[in-house]
Amino acid sequence: MSAGKKLPLEGLRVADFCWIGAGSYTTKVLGDMGADVIKIESSARLDSLRLAGPYTDGKAGVNRSGYFADRNSSKRGITVDMKHPRALEVIGRLVAQSDIVANNFAAGVMDKFGLGYEDVRRMRPDVIYLAMSMQGAEGPQRDFRGTGSSIAALTGIQDLSGLPGRIPAGTGTNYPDHLPNPTHAAFAVLAALRHRRRTGEGQYIDFAQTEPMLALLGPTFLDLTVNGRLQQRRGNVHPWAAPHGVYPCAGEDRWIAITVMDDAQWAALVRVMGSPEWTTDEKLATMPERYRAREELDRRLAAWTATQDAQALMRALQAEGVPAGAVQDARDVTRDDPQLRHRGHWVRLPHAEMGETIYNNLPFRFARTPVAPHRPAPLLGEHTREVLADMLGFSESEVAGFEAEGVLK
Amino acid sequence: MAAAALEGLRILDLSGAMGNYAGKMFGDMGADVILVEPPGGSELRREPPFIGDVAGPERSLSFAYQNTSKRGICLDLDTASGQHILREIAATADLVIESFPPGWMAARGIGHAALAARRPSIVTTSITPFGQDGPYAQFAATDLVGLALGGLLYIGGYRDAAPTQAHGDQAFKCAAMYGAVAAMLAVTEAELSGEGQHVDVAMQECVTLALENSAQGYDLEGAVRLRPPGDQRFAGYGLFPCKDGYIYLGSRGIGTSPAWARTLQWLKDDGMEGVQRLFRPEWSDTAWLKTVEARDTFADLFIPWAMRHTKAWLYEEGQKRLIPLAPVSTPADLLDNPQLAARGHFVPFVHPLVATAARMPGAPYVLSRTPWRTQRRAPLLGEHTAEVLAEIGITKEDVARLCAAGIAA
Repeated sequence: MSAGKKLPLEGLRVADFCWIGAGSYTTKVLGDMGADVIKIESSARLDSLRLAGPYTDGKAGVNRSGYFADRNSSKRGITVDMKHPRALEVIGRLVAQSDIVANNFAAGVMDKFGLGYEDVRRMRPDVIYLAMSMQGAEGPQRDFRGTGSSIAALTGIQDLSGLPGRIPAGTGTNYPDHLPNPTHAAFAVLAALRHRRRTGEGQYIDFAQTEPMLALLGPTFLDLTVNGRLQQRRGNVHPWAAPHGVYPCAGEDRWIAITVMDDAQWAALVRVMGSPEWTTDEKLATMPERYRAREELDRRLAAWTATQDAQALMRALQAEGVPAGAVQDARDVTRDDPQLRHRGHWVRLPHAEMGETIYNNLPFRFARTPVAPHRPAPLLGEHTREVLADMLGFSESEVAGFEAEGVLK
Repeated sequence: MAAAALEGLRILDLSGAMGNYAGKMFGDMGADVILVEPPGGSELRREPPFIGDVAGPERSLSFAYQNTSKRGICLDLDTASGQHILREIAATADLVIESFPPGWMAARGIGHAALAARRPSIVTTSITPFGQDGPYAQFAATDLVGLALGGLLYIGGYRDAAPTQAHGDQAFKCAAMYGAVAAMLAVTEAELSGEGQHVDVAMQECVTLALENSAQGYDLEGAVRLRPPGDQRFAGYGLFPCKDGYIYLGSRGIGTSPAWARTLQWLKDDGMEGVQRLFRPEWSDTAWLKTVEARDTFADLFIPWAMRHTKAWLYEEGQKRLIPLAPVSTPADLLDNPQLAARGHFVPFVHPLVATAARMPGAPYVLSRTPWRTQRRAPLLGEHTAEVLAEIGITKEDVARLCAAGIAA
């Protein structure tokens, strides 16, 4: 059999009820990799990312958000008011043709729509049903609500990141929304698809948006349950290496990360510094000694970096084998970084209302299969008629009837 | 019980800190994952925390956590015999995960082309800091450097201090999580087409998926997103201290949002001193809520009240009133979290050097038919060398000779 350039998920259909953060980034992976993802929205209850900036030219509008667009590449979009009594007439047909039904509503919402797992199984017996609630399907706090910020707080990443003695800083973002939850959910779906290929059986994936973040903090929990140590915020201090930190550079709010992991890298750093006298101190000869002297090392190093250009210093240090990286801001990564450009990370797609804007590509390349988002985010309801008529087989008058009754809001 | 979702897949994990978590994701879903270490052991065995804070090849909790559900063998891949044995095992494998510098595998005759010559369906997933080629391909990187060049470090921390890292080597984890997704996608494609391929995953690029809306913020509005200004993004929205730590309060601060009205009602019902001030008309104005004065006023009133209550009480009571409030959990809080307990999230940690009962994070997802399950604890150094080599027809005597020669261990 000859393998072509067919995408891995071609031929699969996803009925995508996901909205906002983690869910939409999960189904982006499926869409970018070839699945036919039909995003179900409603103007009666908008995906709140459509109302979250940034917007093209700074002008708000439901079809203008870059935050929304990036998470919804390679999807078609339809609008159905799920609270309308006739909604299931439309959605039932879609679900029957879907391999995967995905949502990230609070537990119980899909049941109210008549689309709980057992309902959907009756429409599509081998369905893979991904339910990404915040707390999971059952349990005493299953109805406790929140958003990405709540999840970052609840799961420990907030508490553990930042400076000791100050309020927890976290990552500055709703980190679990962006990688931990989308990647784990996509992996779970791919595993379930393999099981279905082998047995014909679908299944239910109960995904609590708290758990992947915890799974990434295993050693931190083991330090507590095995050693009795409750880990604390420690800034950029490494458990055993020094110097290891973020140092100021020339310009406003410019910084470089420098990490010296062994004696050879220390010798290389000293060379790049021009071997100043203080570096010959015998008390800095070994890693444990440098680690003990790390605060002074940090001060010395910061004084040396402060007048230098971060990118030039990074190149000089890397040329000598020192792991160092300019602390890049949004402009640096999107416009200047030569490595991301080389990899074609940022993809520009034309959109009817936004014009050409940037999307994240998936962060991997296959030798044979192209990896790239292939369609911009849908306008609100852009494909409603197309999907109802061409895919679901409703006649023009039936579609008009749904429209007249407000089903397709 | 149904077969595990990934049963029948054989995987060679040659990676370390940047990839071992990906191998764990496969192993915990039922794949036969063989960790291949050099005779001296993986570098991750030298990473803390250690059992009882004593270093040693069998004492690293980082290693023990990220290598559950794997068998382990030791091979010196710098020797012709070691390379030959690796090719023989790979001829029975579906996936190789590796994180060596670009070109390292090919130079030893074990690159993807060599492995695919024997086994056309094999997928090789290379997880590296910057990818296989491009201007930074040979740059050295640590976790902090990955965060810096990927753009996440810049937005983490405090506006008045140097950027601070995310806890728990999250840049490595980003690479491992997307590495697992990419590998699973390529395995899916290979199972369908019969042909494997090489997969190139770059940590830097994975980290850019964590930038929330900041890349689009620059692209669309020319705005460089900075670290958060302080504890509250706007009045009533952000982190606040309480009696035993911190909470996240997501009342959104928008005068008309139901959560804000509910928050005010709660504070009033509980008799918070000065609550009347928050009912004045300016508190319905979003622009006002963003002012320093509004933030300070809210903090001055709210914090003394919050300081009288615990995280757990505020979480419980706030949720009863449908306010998106969450505790800023510490690892200790999470071990006691009633919802996670009801889900059975934490599972026993078994290790020959740990006599007392200890726990670690368990399933990141609950699949109804093919559950997540730890197949076995992480392997001791060379624990399965004889067993795995026997599977490819190498006799016990030959294994002993290989070990004596330092080629295996």
